[in-house]
Amino acid sequence: MKKIDVKICVGTTCYVMGAFQLQHLEDFLDKKSLENVNISGAPCLGCCQDKNYENAPFVEIDGDIIANATIVKIIKEIEERLK
Amino acid sequence: MINRFANNHLEIEFSSKIKTGEDVCGDDFKSKFIAAEGRYISVLSDGLGSGIKASLLSNMVTTMALKFVEDNVDFLASAEIMMDSLPICEVRKISYATFTIVDAMIDGTTKIIEMDNPHFIHLRGTAEVEHDMKTLVSDRWNDRKIYVSEFKMKHGDRLIFFSDGVSQAGLGQRGHKFGWKREGCLDYIKYLVSQDEDISARKLSQQITTKACTFNPNNRKIDDISCGVAYYREPRRTILLTGPPYKESSDSEFADIIRYFKGKKIICGGTTASIISRELKREILTDIKNKNGFLPMTSEMKGVNLVTEGILTLTELAKYLESGETKETAPSIKELVELFHESDIVDFVVGTRVNIAHQDPTLPVDLEIRRNIVKKIKVILEINYRKIVNVRYI
Repeated sequence: MKKIDVKICVGTTCYVMGAFQLQHLEDFLDKKSLENVNISGAPCLGCCQDKNYENAPFVEIDGDIIANATIVKIIKEIEERLK
Repeated sequence: MINRFANNHLEIEFSSKIKTGEDVCGDDFKSKFIAAEGRYISVLSDGLGSGIKASLLSNMVTTMALKFVEDNVDFLASAEIMMDSLPICEVRKISYATFTIVDAMIDGTTKIIEMDNPHFIHLRGTAEVEHDMKTLVSDRWNDRKIYVSEFKMKHGDRLIFFSDGVSQAGLGQRGHKFGWKREGCLDYIKYLVSQDEDISARKLSQQITTKACTFNPNNRKIDDISCGVAYYREPRRTILLTGPPYKESSDSEFADIIRYFKGKKIICGGTTASIISRELKREILTDIKNKNGFLPMTSEMKGVNLVTEGILTLTELAKYLESGETKETAPSIKELVELFHESDIVDFVVGTRVNIAHQDPTLPVDLEIRRNIVKKIKVILEINYRKIVNVRYI
């Protein structure tokens, strides 16, 4: 099975809006999720530059943008995809 | 002016270690670049004794010598004035401080004036170049001989001059009864240069003083240990791109700066990196394991030495440089500073498009305007680091 790509935006806006915590995502994942995801950082995904910048931080999961990302939200999203 | 000197540069750096038990260094080093003449003047002086008293003597000598040389005063006369004006030591009943003066023009014409410091070393590759010296003796101070050497440097030449703390390191120790001596130091310098033929003046001077400290048990320093190195070569350049260009139509021109620049390359900014990655079709890798303290992690891109986040990183960089590199900082800042240390000319290319999200007052952190931080960094690099800094807005 192809791994799920999780890209955490570490551009300035996302970083100050909470991506700092998101960097530690893997510490919160269970074994199954951990084996099936590929976590990386990303320099500015560009999402903050449209009108919805107040929704930072952004995370991209397999090409889909998650706004207002939190660790809980990302974990839910990953588990959903692993079902 | 910069173009006139474009292919010549004299990197002058200095390192010193304070005698164990003292609070200040009794050796002093001063250096000055006179841009209008394309002239570099450096003076190293070792004051009699150690601590504050020695520091006072050596500081007086370096300050006076720099001024006299700059004003082209007859050297014997100025040496007499210096010797006359030094305070007399209570213990030894003499007034005394040594000096080595390097007076070099950007075209390589060099004059070295020495009194009582170990004789300087002129290295071409790993071979020592020796020179005939002229001896000057003052009528009133006839026990103090002044030696003058004049020659022309070629690219790749190095001048190394040090206080006797270097040549006498380890004095009396087994294997070094008479200290490291100039010869021992010369062999070590040759070895260092043979290992890294491009070794910077800064690294070379640091390695010499560090080595000199190892000759006594527990790295105890029995004297102040100081070493200056002048390295004549082509300037080393670093470019730093930060911020997206004002007009999107300039993006490809912006990326071409990275493509064609010869030297070290730095990108500070997520959007900036994305633009360059898109234009040059070079992938950016951001490994989540590259944790970077309290700052966003760094990324990697082919052909670029360092890719970091923008505003937060630059703001921290300015604070760190302002602190004189004393505050705790993130690894990416140390990497940036090391790249600056190892270059002579730093070019900033600042994109002026404003990211509207950064101006939102509800952000938890105040974000400065890019242009202002770069201006601040430019001033620090010019004054405290003696770098030539160019800033261009796009």
